[in-house]
Amino acid sequence: MQKKEHNVVGQYTGRLDAFGKVTGRALYAADRCFPGMLYGAVLRSPYPHARILQISTNAATRKKGVIAALTASDIPGARVFGVVVKNQSVMAEDKVRFIGDGVAIVAALTEREAREAVGLIRVEYKLLPAVFDVEEAMKPDAPRIHQGDNVFIHHKVRRGSIEKGFQEAEVILKRSYRTQRIEHSYLEPEAALALPLPGDGIKIECCAQNAYSTRRSVSEVLGIPMNRVEIEQATMGGSFGGKDEVMTSLCCRAALLALKTGRPVKMVNTREESFLESYKRHPYILYYKIGAKKNGRLTAIEARIIADAGAYASMSPFVTWRSAVQAAGPYECLNVKTDAFAVYTNQAYTGAMRGFGSPQVNFAIESLMDELAQELNLDPLELRLKNCFTEGSVTATGQKLNPGVSLKEVLQKAAGEMKWEMKRALYEGEKRNQDYIKRGIGLACSYRGVSLGAEGIDAAATVVSVQSDGSVIMWSGISDMGQGAQTAQAIIASEVLGISPDRITFFPVNTSRISDSGPTVASRGTIMGGSAAKKGAETVRDSMLKEASIILDESIDNLIMYNNWIFSSKNRTKKTSFSALAGECFNRGVKLFGFGWHKSPSTTWDEKTGQGQAYFTFVYGCNVAEVEVDTETGQVKVIRIAAAHDVGKAINRAGVEGQIYGGLVMGMGYGLMEEFSIQEGEPQCYNFDEYLIPTACDIPDMKAIIVENPDPLGPFGAKSIGEPATELAAPAILNAICHATGKRIRELPADLEKVLLDHKLKRISKRGSEEK
Amino acid sequence: MLPEIKYYKANTVEETVHILAQNKHAIRILAGGTDLLPELRSEKQNRKVIILDISSIKLLNKIEDEGHFIRIGALVKHSQMVESILLGRHAGFLTQASSLVGSAQIRNRGTLGGNICNAAPCADTLPPLVALDAELTLESSSGNRTELLSGFIRGAYKTNRANDEFLTWIRFKKLPEGCRSNFIKLGRREALSIARLQVAACGMIDSNNKICYIRIVPGSTTPNVFRFTEVEEYLLGNEPSERLFSKAGDMVARKMVEITGVRWSTEYKKPVIAALVRRSLQAIFNLKPGVAVK
Ligand SMILES: Cc1cc2nc3c(=O)[nH]c(=O)nc-3n(C[C@H](O)[C@H](O)[C@H](O)COP(=O)(O)OP(=O)(O)OC[C@H]3O[C@@H](n4cnc5c(N)ncnc54)[C@H](O)[C@@H]3O)c2cc1C
Repeated sequence: MQKKEHNVVGQYTGRLDAFGKVTGRALYAADRCFPGMLYGAVLRSPYPHARILQISTNAATRKKGVIAALTASDIPGARVFGVVVKNQSVMAEDKVRFIGDGVAIVAALTEREAREAVGLIRVEYKLLPAVFDVEEAMKPDAPRIHQGDNVFIHHKVRRGSIEKGFQEAEVILKRSYRTQRIEHSYLEPEAALALPLPGDGIKIECCAQNAYSTRRSVSEVLGIPMNRVEIEQATMGGSFGGKDEVMTSLCCRAALLALKTGRPVKMVNTREESFLESYKRHPYILYYKIGAKKNGRLTAIEARIIADAGAYASMSPFVTWRSAVQAAGPYECLNVKTDAFAVYTNQAYTGAMRGFGSPQVNFAIESLMDELAQELNLDPLELRLKNCFTEGSVTATGQKLNPGVSLKEVLQKAAGEMKWEMKRALYEGEKRNQDYIKRGIGLACSYRGVSLGAEGIDAAATVVSVQSDGSVIMWSGISDMGQGAQTAQAIIASEVLGISPDRITFFPVNTSRISDSGPTVASRGTIMGGSAAKKGAETVRDSMLKEASIILDESIDNLIMYNNWIFSSKNRTKKTSFSALAGECFNRGVKLFGFGWHKSPSTTWDEKTGQGQAYFTFVYGCNVAEVEVDTETGQVKVIRIAAAHDVGKAINRAGVEGQIYGGLVMGMGYGLMEEFSIQEGEPQCYNFDEYLIPTACDIPDMKAIIVENPDPLGPFGAKSIGEPATELAAPAILNAICHATGKRIRELPADLEKVLLDHKLKRISKRGSEEK
Repeated sequence: MLPEIKYYKANTVEETVHILAQNKHAIRILAGGTDLLPELRSEKQNRKVIILDISSIKLLNKIEDEGHFIRIGALVKHSQMVESILLGRHAGFLTQASSLVGSAQIRNRGTLGGNICNAAPCADTLPPLVALDAELTLESSSGNRTELLSGFIRGAYKTNRANDEFLTWIRFKKLPEGCRSNFIKLGRREALSIARLQVAACGMIDSNNKICYIRIVPGSTTPNVFRFTEVEEYLLGNEPSERLFSKAGDMVARKMVEITGVRWSTEYKKPVIAALVRRSLQAIFNLKPGVAVK
């Protein structure tokens, strides 16, 4: 037998959860019911900024079927929550801060009764001046949304001397860019089911992405210890970073109603409610200035970035921190100055979304690099190759990169796949043609810090428990929202134990059954959860091998676990099946249970100097997109897109490719059509009829190029792919559009109007559908 | 959430008109439901809704060849229209329009009658049907009447339908032998896309290479859908050329702005409808598509 490096790792493995999802048997939170269950509904603010003078729930409480109606004053514990800044209300106490802010909740026998009762709650408001424009909100005389300044975050990065850098420059460009607010568009709207437990506890089955932070908030709001709040994840229908605070408040509300009534309470948002109340990706305004020598060497990068945080702090402090760290792109530049601000406004709050502060800055810096290339008359690829990080490079935050800096490799692989040079020249030549269809090719690249970095403590737990028949149970503190975290961890455990992944049953996150593993965010599921799974499996493997060595009378060093068997490499007749060995271990009282705990290497950050070891490792990626632009209608068709990503090691190739394909399409939506527009605080769309995301028919030909430079800090060398996959498509596509048309669009999305007219068209009248 | 619903189902035209006559107020007709259900879901008031489901009337689920005419039952679905060889041969742009409606799921449920009676300014089948001078039959307990489609639609989401009648048939003359037709839909994405602009056109040349038959109906441009007859007259008797078609496009654009006034979207729609009209004519008369000749 030829021994491959890995047996299960690196193959195409089907997802553990695929069958249930494809057959429709998977149970989502909204599918579950309990005897005696009540339905909850929420009253939300119709005003962007108003003081609450009085709330009367009398009429609602008297209505047939209504069991309870609660407001902020009924909350036994903390009335606000927040992972970083505790200022988000479960139900508005003194004032409402955006249209959609929760004000009161009702539980009734049926959903209809609950929703009708909500309409009977009387709230007296005193309207307050509101502010919607971030730059307005930054002014000293702007209406204050919370105590203190509306500008609540300012991150800095300072490297070298920005003045000196611009003095040395032979070319200086100043540009500004804007990105839009977008919705996560998970298929499953928010849902939670709260069940009172004997002894004043509560169990919540829900689709929270980060069960542990949700648990902390529920426990504080209810005023009961964490061990009496059990959060269990139901099957999740997507999240993309979107089911954090919005789920926390939903869970708090359902729990409050359940404890008040002593009955199970189910709360499910409609799509319209989800669009209204859920948080979005931050719109950014980005002011950039870049200096370079005539030969293309960068001398200075300055960025001033303003993020619209909306009504609550949510993840803005961390999102803008990542933006600040990565704002100067993957380029060597001795003089960098970045300032990133987060600012409150009276509209839907913004928070975590796949990418987490990188899609915005990548759009800006990668557009700017193309603009600089044009100014210097250099090929965009050449300019990047000239400046990009290589082995030993030092980042804008003064961090020397770990070995394995593969930026050149991903750039060259993606460009090669797309025949960059040939097409650049070909399409350039076509510009003289009369045809109204113009073609273009563009690229974008990035480096990205893996996992949480200096945001906080980074550790995770996974349990591997082998049963006496050789089947295996696993569970982890890392959630699976559809990204395939369970499958990746199962593959890793299978590799360690020499078994096939179909032996493994994976249980969903339950906060009472396994240690707090932090949030499942920041593309950390595989590197953190996978490392924990590996350690858990190694614990079991070690004890099983020890026993096998006795049973087979062979030294441990000669034993191989492969394909559900354990045998001696010296004498193939010395063998036992994995199942038989598991049974034997059980009979002899050997521990078949492994608890894996993984803590990442530490990171450092100095807020004052804006320098530090921001992340313990990085990934590198490049997208190259080819487009056809209809110059008479502004229609853009993405013809082909190639994505090269260094993932360290692909644990599941099918999973990595899936992430790349999905990420590309999501990035394409960001680049071309998605926009959650809010005017005067009022969302302009409430469902997918008007909020457009790409359909299956819009998906271009895609090529996923998996680059593997194993990282010693990840399980079997694995790093991450979830977010890298989506952070580059928009700038690559917009650079391609510019190549096709010669016109630079500096504001996302590049919709029909912007491509044709070079500027945004604002809807001022009512739509046809409203004139009805 | 859907309102409370009282549900009737009719299996024949007679049953339908009978139930309609008895419930003149507030009864909602349901064919495929693809417009009706989203509408009911978004209704603010909690009043009970009465629905009359007509989807099982077999009689109205056919496309009939009547010699010079074609008759389509109101319950024919878009996917049936796409598959109809008869329609493909004699009203190609209508099948093209149906093939661009929503998605496969929507085309498998949504009906032609529903598309017409909903009367959205962006409804895809309206421009080709207007170009065909389609005539509608409406049935009520007191008999039936016919009306031209262009008159039936009174504006965005408004029709001449009386409460006690319903649409049974859509009828039009086959396009003349040798006439070519074309439908263009411009949207923001490739499927499930509400039209930003549409153009339905058909036409032919005589033996002297002069345009002898032409119809142009832009869609999503004006609240009502109608033939731009001035532009048609301008084209008649002329030889097909880039310059002619560019001019026709500009005329359509100017006319659109005359009717709607300048709106937020005019800056975009004006040049684009001109280009689409030009392209549509180029396609019909077999000219290589190219850029506008000014
Ligand atoms: C996701 C989605 C995408 C869509 N995309 C498109 C698109 O691309 N292009 C497009 O044009 N449309 C589109 N539509 C709208 C809709 O599908 C079409 O208008 C369809 O043809 C409606 O037919 P229906 O049978 O479903 O109508 P229904 O919803 O059953 O009825 C529509 C209206 O007409 C009335 N009605 C129906 N039949 C009759 C009758 N025989 N007599 C009198 N009144 C009647 C109903 O009372 C109702 O008011 C889309 C809809 C959805 C949900």
